[in-house]
Amino acid sequence: MPQVILPIGPQHPALKEPVNFKVIVDGETIVGLELDVSYTHRGIEKAAEQRDFIRVVPLLERVCGICSHAHGTAFVMGIEEVMQLEIPPRAQYIRTIVAELERMHSHILWLGVAAHVVGFNTLFMWTWRDRETTQDLLEEMTGNRMNYGINEVGGVRRDLTPGQITSALSRLPKLEEQIAKYVDMVMNQETMLLRFRGIGKLSKAEALKYGTVGPTARASGVDYDIRRDDPYIAYSEIPWKVVTDTSGDVFGRTLVRIGELQESLGIIRYCLEHLPEGQIGVPAPKVAPVAEILSRYEAPRGELVHFIRTNNTDRVERIDIRTPTLANWTSVTVSLVNQNIADIPVIVAAIDPCLSCTSRITILSERGRKTAEMTWDQLSEYGRKSSRERDRC
Amino acid sequence: MLMDPLLLAVYILIFPGFLFLLAYAFFLQYLDRKIAARMQQRVGPPLLQPFADFIKMLGKEVIDPAGVDRMAFDAAPVVALAAAMTAFLYIPVVGESPFAFQGDLVLVLYLLTLPTIALFLLGWLSRNVFSSVGGVRAVTMLFIYEVPFFLALLMPALMAGSWSISEIAAWQGKHTWFALFQPIGFVVGLIGLQAKLERQPFDIPEAETEIVAGPWTELTGRRLALMHLTMHVALVAGSGLIAALFLGGPLLPWTISPPWLSWIAGFAMFLGKTLAILLILASIKVAMGRIRIDQLNDIGWKYLASATILQVAIVLLMGSRGVGI
Amino acid sequence: MSVLREMLENLFSRPFTILYPKEKVPIPVGFRGKIAIVDEKCIGCSRCARVCPAECITMIPDETEIEVKGKKIVRKKRPVVKFFRCIRCGLCEQYCPSEAIIMKCQLSESGTDKEVLVQ
Ligand code: SF4
Ligand code: SF4
Repeated sequence: MPQVILPIGPQHPALKEPVNFKVIVDGETIVGLELDVSYTHRGIEKAAEQRDFIRVVPLLERVCGICSHAHGTAFVMGIEEVMQLEIPPRAQYIRTIVAELERMHSHILWLGVAAHVVGFNTLFMWTWRDRETTQDLLEEMTGNRMNYGINEVGGVRRDLTPGQITSALSRLPKLEEQIAKYVDMVMNQETMLLRFRGIGKLSKAEALKYGTVGPTARASGVDYDIRRDDPYIAYSEIPWKVVTDTSGDVFGRTLVRIGELQESLGIIRYCLEHLPEGQIGVPAPKVAPVAEILSRYEAPRGELVHFIRTNNTDRVERIDIRTPTLANWTSVTVSLVNQNIADIPVIVAAIDPCLSCTSRITILSERGRKTAEMTWDQLSEYGRKSSRERDRC
Repeated sequence: MLMDPLLLAVYILIFPGFLFLLAYAFFLQYLDRKIAARMQQRVGPPLLQPFADFIKMLGKEVIDPAGVDRMAFDAAPVVALAAAMTAFLYIPVVGESPFAFQGDLVLVLYLLTLPTIALFLLGWLSRNVFSSVGGVRAVTMLFIYEVPFFLALLMPALMAGSWSISEIAAWQGKHTWFALFQPIGFVVGLIGLQAKLERQPFDIPEAETEIVAGPWTELTGRRLALMHLTMHVALVAGSGLIAALFLGGPLLPWTISPPWLSWIAGFAMFLGKTLAILLILASIKVAMGRIRIDQLNDIGWKYLASATILQVAIVLLMGSRGVGI
Repeated sequence: MSVLREMLENLFSRPFTILYPKEKVPIPVGFRGKIAIVDEKCIGCSRCARVCPAECITMIPDETEIEVKGKKIVRKKRPVVKFFRCIRCGLCEQYCPSEAIIMKCQLSESGTDKEVLVQ
């Protein structure tokens, strides 16, 4: 059969966010994939350069709706390191609680979406029902269900009251029970097994070669988690373990995420029970000295990197955000090859893509009518040229 | 069985013909959605929701995709609906169907296939990638489930020695339900019906996350309304068919006088049995995800077909031993 | 099997859904809801306007005498908020010295007119 190019996106019902791929198919089998992730470029990095350290945090929380705490924390951790602030442990613990609640809500959400993608809407409804628990907890602790706004440079903005802690602890067992049910369902539900097992295989070597991160990498047997390998906030003090799987398929990714749900629940419980007393923040100076820093954070989808350059003013000179989805995209192009067309949504959903957070660059033609492509060399040449120009003036 | 023309007209048009059929179709649809919703711990639609949806869609603008053959596009849903409604006339509801004849089983099976063919046609006519993929999937699926489905439904006919649905139902009145004689056939019939109605795990042709809505994608306004109604009616006809073939239909094993009382009892039996079948179908829908067409191919031919052939063998064996026939 | 069990359990239990306008969603204390200005407390210091990330607070001239901690002072300005531009981050509330701008425990409505003002 001749090869046919099947365009998918930017608007497509299977995708919750706009991304554009061209799938090259041979009959029902996928031969190759071309990706264009720059459909929703929002200029958020530039906007971040315009705001001082107080006002930039809410903006960065809005890079992603689901990992909003991840972005906020990655940024304030970087700035705090530049300012050499010693953050009180209570603040670190609260950050950890919110971070893990966020991971739980993200993974539960993903499980529902994955079930929905294979048409198993019942699990979708159930998971989203149980996700309400995490959302309620977040709402009570931070004041909002999304975009929690708990972080600021120097600490957290809200303390946990003893009442909140007991009410949170009392709701965890129910959630734990539900998660145990999901484990059972995922392992035994025939149609899900049929659709997830052996689909979207990614070997360990491939996972390493294409630089995958997070659950995608861990499902391929890459034992790598920033929370353990480069501990930040309170993770070094908490007992927990990294969940990995060796199957490397969509099913493996599901298992890793469900395993992480259980781990997260343990972390939250530990943090709530062992919350240290003390301050929840230290006063932060207005300006940050000249520095360059790379702040790493294990977001629900994988390793998130904020590169921050400060220049003795009250705002960043440059911030570059590498979202986990960007790191995982290339692996999709590999794991899709030789799969059935019907499996595209499953495999794409398996990395839990968060597309609007990913777009960092769009190259437009003269009048903005068309997007263009740039090679790596062109891009670095372009970068050198513009930084020379900036230094001159 | 002959009736006087007036009664016949009442039978066709009002009860248990079209008017009842439509009302019951909407009601079953409501129940289906409500049960599914409650199983998912949602609230679900109010009683008149399916009807309201139908009316609303009738009032919506009809959009013709560019370059589509309008006549055929308009006709396909109507034909499909007509076929499904006609099929229902041969299903015994309060007693034997007045239209029963030798071979109406084959006619009903044929008529129930028409909606799928119409969907394929619609997909083909839409000139839309998703629709045509969906249409092709619909017929591919048809070829997979139709063989075991037909075989399973013809087994009662073989055993009862009649090709008329009403007579098969009557035969069960004298003996036992075919669901007990032929449990494999009963299960295969239910699965086949689920596939015919394109419900999970067989909603492959309209897989939302893969191909939007498949053949339904370009349907708008009254075309969509009619096509939905066809599926609702097919659900009634299909479950009535299974109820008649495997669960004894509305016919009672003993005679009740006066006749109107036996009619009411029969009608209650019909309602009870179709509702039970609906409950099973709804549970299957809620409990499963969608499989891939190649997986369905494997399952269909490997398990469904061989199970049905086993059933055929058993029936033939029983027949040679003088049971039934 | 667990799927079936859960299905049956759900079938005979109350739906989880909150039918919103009829039943109210519980709102926890400390929820960052609708923004409001308590005019008689504002001393016109402009801090809220400076920290607002959405830049939706403008200070307008308004000479009023107000009472703060027993003392009478005359403030020069007061803030107005573009309601639908507010992202409800709560920074203004946190930085206001006299609790004059607050986030109420109440759901914020939505709308299309970005220029609607809260005074
Ligand atoms: S809550 Fe609204 S008004 Fe207040 S600082 Fe945030 S965006 Fe501005
Ligand atoms: S509302 Fe508060 S922060 Fe804003 S001007 Fe008035 S007193 Fe100052």
